[in-house]
Amino acid sequence: MKNIIFIFKSAIDDFSRNKLRTFLTSLGILIGVFAVVVLIALGLGLKKYISDQFEAMGKNTIFLVPGRILSGGGFSGSASSFTGSFDNRDIEILKRIDNVVSVGPLTLKSIKVNGLIKEDFADIMFSSEVLPDIMGFEIETGRFFDKTDVTKRAKVVFIGNKIATDYYGSAENAIGQKVTVNNVKFMIIGVTKSKGGGGMGGPDYDSYLYGPYTTGYIFNPDKKFFRLMVKTTNENYVAQVKEDIKKEFLKRYEEEEFSVVEPTELLSAITSIFSVLNLILVAIAAISLLVGGIGIMNIMYVTVSDRIKEIGIRRAIGARKSDILSQFLAEAVLLSSIGGILGIALAYFGVFFAQKFFPAYIDLLTVAIALGVSSAIGITFGVFPARKAANLEPVEAIRYE
Amino acid sequence: MIKLVNVSKEYIIDSEYTFYALKKANVEIKEKEFVSIMGPSGSGKSTLMHIIGLLDKPTTGKVFILEREISKITDDQLSTLRNEFVGFVFQQFNLINKLTVLENVMLPTIYCRKELDFDPTDRAVEILENFGLKGKMNSYPNKLSGGQQQRVAIARALMMKPKLILADEPTGNLDSKTGHEIMMLLEKLNKEEKITIVLVTHETDIAAYAKRVIKIRDGEIV
Ligand SMILES: Nc1ncnc2c1ncn2[C@@H]1O[C@H](COP(=O)(O)OP(=O)(O)OP(=O)(O)O)[C@@H](O)[C@H]1O
Ligand SMILES: [Mg+2]
Repeated sequence: MKNIIFIFKSAIDDFSRNKLRTFLTSLGILIGVFAVVVLIALGLGLKKYISDQFEAMGKNTIFLVPGRILSGGGFSGSASSFTGSFDNRDIEILKRIDNVVSVGPLTLKSIKVNGLIKEDFADIMFSSEVLPDIMGFEIETGRFFDKTDVTKRAKVVFIGNKIATDYYGSAENAIGQKVTVNNVKFMIIGVTKSKGGGGMGGPDYDSYLYGPYTTGYIFNPDKKFFRLMVKTTNENYVAQVKEDIKKEFLKRYEEEEFSVVEPTELLSAITSIFSVLNLILVAIAAISLLVGGIGIMNIMYVTVSDRIKEIGIRRAIGARKSDILSQFLAEAVLLSSIGGILGIALAYFGVFFAQKFFPAYIDLLTVAIALGVSSAIGITFGVFPARKAANLEPVEAIRYE
Repeated sequence: MIKLVNVSKEYIIDSEYTFYALKKANVEIKEKEFVSIMGPSGSGKSTLMHIIGLLDKPTTGKVFILEREISKITDDQLSTLRNEFVGFVFQQFNLINKLTVLENVMLPTIYCRKELDFDPTDRAVEILENFGLKGKMNSYPNKLSGGQQQRVAIARALMMKPKLILADEPTGNLDSKTGHEIMMLLEKLNKEEKITIVLVTHETDIAAYAKRVIKIRDGEIV
C-alpha cells in the first residue's frame, strides 16, 4: 500500500516537473476522449429526443400507413412513392374491430398563413377529435376542436405554439384570429403547449395547424387520408388489434399497399439507424485514442531511456522487477488518465454549449467508460516500455552513464 | 557468509574473442570482516563486487550467500537479499536527484515486503543526524558537497540494517581529507555495529583501513 502511494506520488512529482511534456503527451487521449464523449452525448440526446416524441403518443396507438414503411429493421424508401391512401370505408372497418376505441384519419395541406406579424407557408393537419389525445397535445389557451365540431364540419383550428408566437406574437393574440385556406376562413380556437425540439428526427408539432377532417373535405373531395391512427383500449390489445387490422385490410388491399405500425416499432427503427451512425462516428473518434496511446508509449520509452541509471539504483537497493514495472505502468496510466479526465471536463463544456441547440447529455456510464478506456490505454501502451524498464539487467543499468 | 567458487565473468566481444572480466575467482568473505579489494583500473574490481552484491551473476562458477547457491534462487529473492542484507555505496554516490535526502535514505524501505522493526522516518532522521546532516534532510542531493552526498549514500545503505556493506571506491570522488572521514565512518560501522565491509579501492592508504586485502589483476585474484 505504502508502495502504491509512493509510486503515484513520485509519478505526480515527475509530471509537475515536466508540465508541458505531460500535457502534450496526454493531449492525444484528451482529444480522443473529448470526441468520443461528445459524440456519445449527442447520440444519447438524439435517441432521447426521438423517444420523447413517440412516448407522447401513447403506447396504445397504432398507425396505418400506405405502402411498406418498415422492412427488416429500417425504413424502406417505398413509403413515399406509394400514391394510394385510405378512405372512409377503412375508418368504418377499423371502428368495427374489437378493442378499437377511436380512429383518427389524417390529411395534410400546405397553406399560406397571414398572421399579425408574419406571413408564410405552414402545414395544416386535418384529423378527428382524438388527435390531441393520440399525439399527447396539451392546451395552453382556448380549446381543441371536439366531436361536435367534427360532426358540424366547423371551420375551426387549433394551432401549434410556435405558429402562435411566430405569426401572432403570443398565444392570447392568436385566439379568435381567422386563417384563410383557399378562400375558406377558419377561426383559431386554441393554442397547444410547446412540445419543444423539432428539426431533427421528427416533425415539429409546434409548427402545425390542426382542423377537423370533415371540414377538410372541402380541399379533399375524394375523402382520402394518408394516415389512419387507431387507439386501442389499452396497450395489451395492440398486438391483437394489429393482427385483426391486417386480416381485414388484406381483403381490400395487397400486402405491400399498407403498413400497420406501432410507434415503438418506428422508434426502434429510427433509433437503430442513428445508433449505427453514431457507432461509426464514435469508432472514428476512437482512432485518435489509439494515436494518443501510441504517443504515450513513445514518451514512456523516452522516459525509460532517460532513467536507466535510476532504475539501476532502485534495483541495487532491492526493487523487484515488478516494482519497476508497476512504477512505469502507473506513470503511463496516470498520464492517460489525466488526458481522460481533461477530455471529459472539456466534453462537459462542449455538451453544455451544445445543449442550447441540441438535447445532448452525458450520463454516468459514458464517464465511467471514458475513464476506464483511458486507463486501459495507459496499461496497454505503457506495458511495453514498463517491461523494458523492468527487464533491464541491474548491473548494466547501474553502470549506465 | 559469502563464498565465490571458480567464478568467471565473460563478455563476448565478437565471435572470435571472449573477454574475461573475472577468471576462476575464489573468494570468501566472513562475517564481521573488513576486506578491501585492490587492483588497477579495469582489473575487474567492480565486476567482483557486483557479483558479491548479487547485482550481477557469474558466467560460470558458483556464488553462495548464507550457504545458499544463488543460481537456485529467484530474481525476487535476490532483490529481497539486496534490500535487506546488502548495502551499496558507490563512487558516484548514485543518489536519486529528484528525491530529497530524506526520501533517498528511506527509499529501501519502500521495497521491503516484510514488517519493519523500526519506523522508517525516525530511523532515517536518526542516521542523518548522526552523520551531521540534520539541516540537509529536505535538500536535494545535487545541492550537497561530495562528502555530504557520500554520507547520504552510506545512510541509505544502512537503512535496512544490512549485514554487509559493499563500497566501490567510496572515496574516489572525494578529496583526501573527506575520503579519510568517510573511511573512518565505515571503520566505525565495522567495529561498533559489526557490519561486514567489502571495500574496493586502488589507493593503498584507503585499503589500509581494511584488515585483509584481496588483490586482483586482469580478472585474476593474486
Ligand atoms: N558489459 C560489458 N561488456 C564488455 N566488457 C565489460 C562490460 N562490463 C565490464 N567490462 C570490462 O570488464 C573489465 C572489468 O571491469 P570493472 O568495471 O570490473 O573494472 P574495475 O576494476 O572496477 O575498474 P575501475 O577501477 O576503472 O573501476 C573492464 O575491462 C571492462 O571494460
Ligand atoms: Mg570499478
